[in-house]
Amino acid sequence: MKKAFLVSAVMALTLAAQAVEVGKPAPDFTATDINGKTVKLGDYKGKIVVLESYNSDCPFCNNQYRTGAMQELERQMAAKGVVWLIVNSVNPNNASHRTPDQAKKEMADKKIVATAWIDDSSGAVGHLYDMKTTPHMFVVNKDGTLVYNGAIDNQPDPQHDPRTARNYVSEAVDALIAGKPVPVAQTKPYGCGVKYAN
Amino acid sequence: MQRIGIMLSGWLCLLAFTAGAAHTQVRLILSAGSARPGDTVLVGVDLKMEPGWHTYWKNPGDAGVPTKIEWQLPPGVIAGKTRWPLPEKFPPLEVTTYGYTNEVVLLVPLTLATNLPPGPLDLKAGITWLECKEQCLPGSDSVEVTLNVGTETKPSADGAFIESWNKKVPFTMSDSAADHAWWQGPSTNDMRTLVIGHLMQKFKDTIKIDLIKYDSVDFFPDASEHFEIQGATEITSAFASDIRLRKAVKKFDGDWPRQITGVLVLQHGGWRGGNEARLTITDESPADAGAVEKNFGPKPAAATLSPQLLWQMLLYAFIGGLILNIMPCVLPVIALKILGFVGESRSDPDHVRKLGLAYALGVLVSFLALAEVVIDIKAAGQKAGWGMQFGSPVFVVCLTTLVTLVALNLFGVFEVGLGGSALNAAGKLASRPGAPGAFFNGMLATALATPCTAPFLSIALGFAFAQSASIIIMLFLAVGVGLAAPYVVLSWNPAWLGFLPKPGAWMEKFKIAMGFPMLATALWLFNLSAGNYGRRILWLGLFLVIVAFAAWIFGEFVQRGRRFKPVAFIIVLLVLAGGYVYALENQLHWREPVSATETAAALKESPDGIDWQRWSPEAVASARNEGHPVIVDFTADWCLTCQVNKKTSIEIPTVRAKLKSMNAVALLADYTRFPTNITAELNHFNRAGVPLVLVYPKPAGADPLVLPEILTPGIVLDALGLAEH
Repeated sequence: MKKAFLVSAVMALTLAAQAVEVGKPAPDFTATDINGKTVKLGDYKGKIVVLESYNSDCPFCNNQYRTGAMQELERQMAAKGVVWLIVNSVNPNNASHRTPDQAKKEMADKKIVATAWIDDSSGAVGHLYDMKTTPHMFVVNKDGTLVYNGAIDNQPDPQHDPRTARNYVSEAVDALIAGKPVPVAQTKPYGCGVKYAN
Repeated sequence: MQRIGIMLSGWLCLLAFTAGAAHTQVRLILSAGSARPGDTVLVGVDLKMEPGWHTYWKNPGDAGVPTKIEWQLPPGVIAGKTRWPLPEKFPPLEVTTYGYTNEVVLLVPLTLATNLPPGPLDLKAGITWLECKEQCLPGSDSVEVTLNVGTETKPSADGAFIESWNKKVPFTMSDSAADHAWWQGPSTNDMRTLVIGHLMQKFKDTIKIDLIKYDSVDFFPDASEHFEIQGATEITSAFASDIRLRKAVKKFDGDWPRQITGVLVLQHGGWRGGNEARLTITDESPADAGAVEKNFGPKPAAATLSPQLLWQMLLYAFIGGLILNIMPCVLPVIALKILGFVGESRSDPDHVRKLGLAYALGVLVSFLALAEVVIDIKAAGQKAGWGMQFGSPVFVVCLTTLVTLVALNLFGVFEVGLGGSALNAAGKLASRPGAPGAFFNGMLATALATPCTAPFLSIALGFAFAQSASIIIMLFLAVGVGLAAPYVVLSWNPAWLGFLPKPGAWMEKFKIAMGFPMLATALWLFNLSAGNYGRRILWLGLFLVIVAFAAWIFGEFVQRGRRFKPVAFIIVLLVLAGGYVYALENQLHWREPVSATETAAALKESPDGIDWQRWSPEAVASARNEGHPVIVDFTADWCLTCQVNKKTSIEIPTVRAKLKSMNAVALLADYTRFPTNITAELNHFNRAGVPLVLVYPKPAGADPLVLPEILTPGIVLDALGLAEH
């Protein structure tokens, strides 16, 4: 009986509170980054925002960074005035958890270029956006509309060269800047599951 | 120093990614060590994961990657579609994944060309996977195995193991028209609710299926690029004839899907199975679905049976109980009851009514006790089977002794005492006049009825075990009412007693004549005990002789004697005690029956009888691997229906000849002592107990034919005929 209730609740939440929907306003949130600063999505209105669900211990995520492809993309985005927010929702009990100090070190070591690394060990932002995998990418328009939700690229393989794949994020951002409609608005995200608390 | 450290860890990381991952071992195994050109051999990709680590199904779910197999096969060998055993569903719900823990063997059929030259074949494969525990690691390995091409197919040592995994692969249901899927309402944004149903109201044996309620049902979808069927499942109905569940579907692009494929997962007790389903999605629920709703009413998720179904079930149980009255193990006791009525009919009708009710009460109380036992066993997690109390050797010995005494009493060796002496397990109980006698008569009738699993009973009770405790009690009581009904009716309608013959000298002769069926029952019980004690059974026979002797002394000198009554009584006790201590305890060791394997006598009944081998899942697998059709007879010594089936429809010349000509293998599964592997196998086919006869056709992957409970030679021969092709 309890289980049935839980399932119905989850289904109801997934259906009704499907606030994360391409074409609708991206849900606003207030979070803290690894430097202790408050990060609010609403503050970035007027800019294109990219959200990335991150966990460098996941081979898929790690593949993007180890090849340097993700950092290159981040630099390109920064040059175009795009806000890049890393969301790390790994729960504190998981071995892949990063304390703020570890995260700062990792950002420096991997030469990550991001506006902020959000410490989401509570999973609040992850659940708000129904982030399922690492990586799971979201692109938000200047007026706050969600225009892309899905995979980073079209090759769900932990050992491919990301530069040879079709990158949905850069495609979406380029389309937005050119004032054209985003060609692919939704894809099935791939990667390891987000390590929420159970 | 630090730089060296970083380089080293970098190299190690690289190593971990490229070499076989540390937590999963892979190897290739073959179903046949040697095969002929043209054969199809099953190759198993055996993935063994360390505890806590898992790999993924062909649809990994919200995250993860399926295991990939890349074959490097010599020319002339073609790999077929990979068969994935039914996976588990991993939490959390918001990131649902499907995969395997501990071990999984993925099966791939390899077809050999007909013109392959003899010799060894090197089969190689590159396996890549993702293994996850708290973190995820990609894994890869190269594996190979050698297959010999020759003039015959020889099963390999891994054949049975592969077959056991083959059994876990979801199969396609024969009646796929029963699968339906429809949208419940329009979409909200890019989400929509899908109802998946498996509606079987077209199934002939409706009552049989309606009573099966699965503990849980689920749907594991196949992966798709354009939409995602999410992990949460809401079960709205788990009845086998009307499975319904709801899933949320998220669309990435394009139109809403018109068709989905996946696996319908059914779970009942310790059993779990999957059916491949291909569902065309309609916008409305099918007309049939409405009909089902009309017939049986809407069922809330946690409901038990609807009232109409329940009554139907109880009716079947009642009829079963009625039929039990004429079963050979119950009839003699009932005959005694007839005598009682004839005797009492002259007296006070109220008294007769009271007796009828006392009898009914005895029956009902016994069935209540049985229901309680079933509930307890069910609660203890075992799979209860009808006839279980006969599994206790001590019980059987006691019952044998009791029935022998009743026979002796009927023969007139001793009479039942008039006064109210302490209850004695012997004939006193059964022949005792008055309400207590009627009560114990009722209990005796119940005790004897149990092993005679009548067809109706089997159906009703098979589903009783699937139901809640209260339903079990109601079902058992319905059977009890059926068993007791004739006597209550007779006792309440004295007018009908007029149809009964008037008392007379014939009664005494009738009474003695009834002693013979009783004796036959005692002998049957004796034979039943023989299975538990092997050659020591002689001592039970001797004990019965001693008991008979004691009964004679009791009758002759204590009851009918005039002098030395107390002395005689003491002698009776001494004889009984001596018999018990020497025969039962000392020689028979009646509380320590031999184990099933020790009593393994030859299974073949006579020189030209069927050559039965002992059943086991491995025996089935290796017989099928060798291309034999297989007949399996699930039977038990105490199961009369099984014995009748055997005599009339299995061990007969036509069937024997047919089995020989088909080169079939005959396997006997002996359920006499309720071995758990056989209980599990019976449950797999939704049977509460024996009899069960299966015929496995020749083609290796084909499902077995399940024969009905009552056999005729025609049924058996038809099934064998089908199995040949």
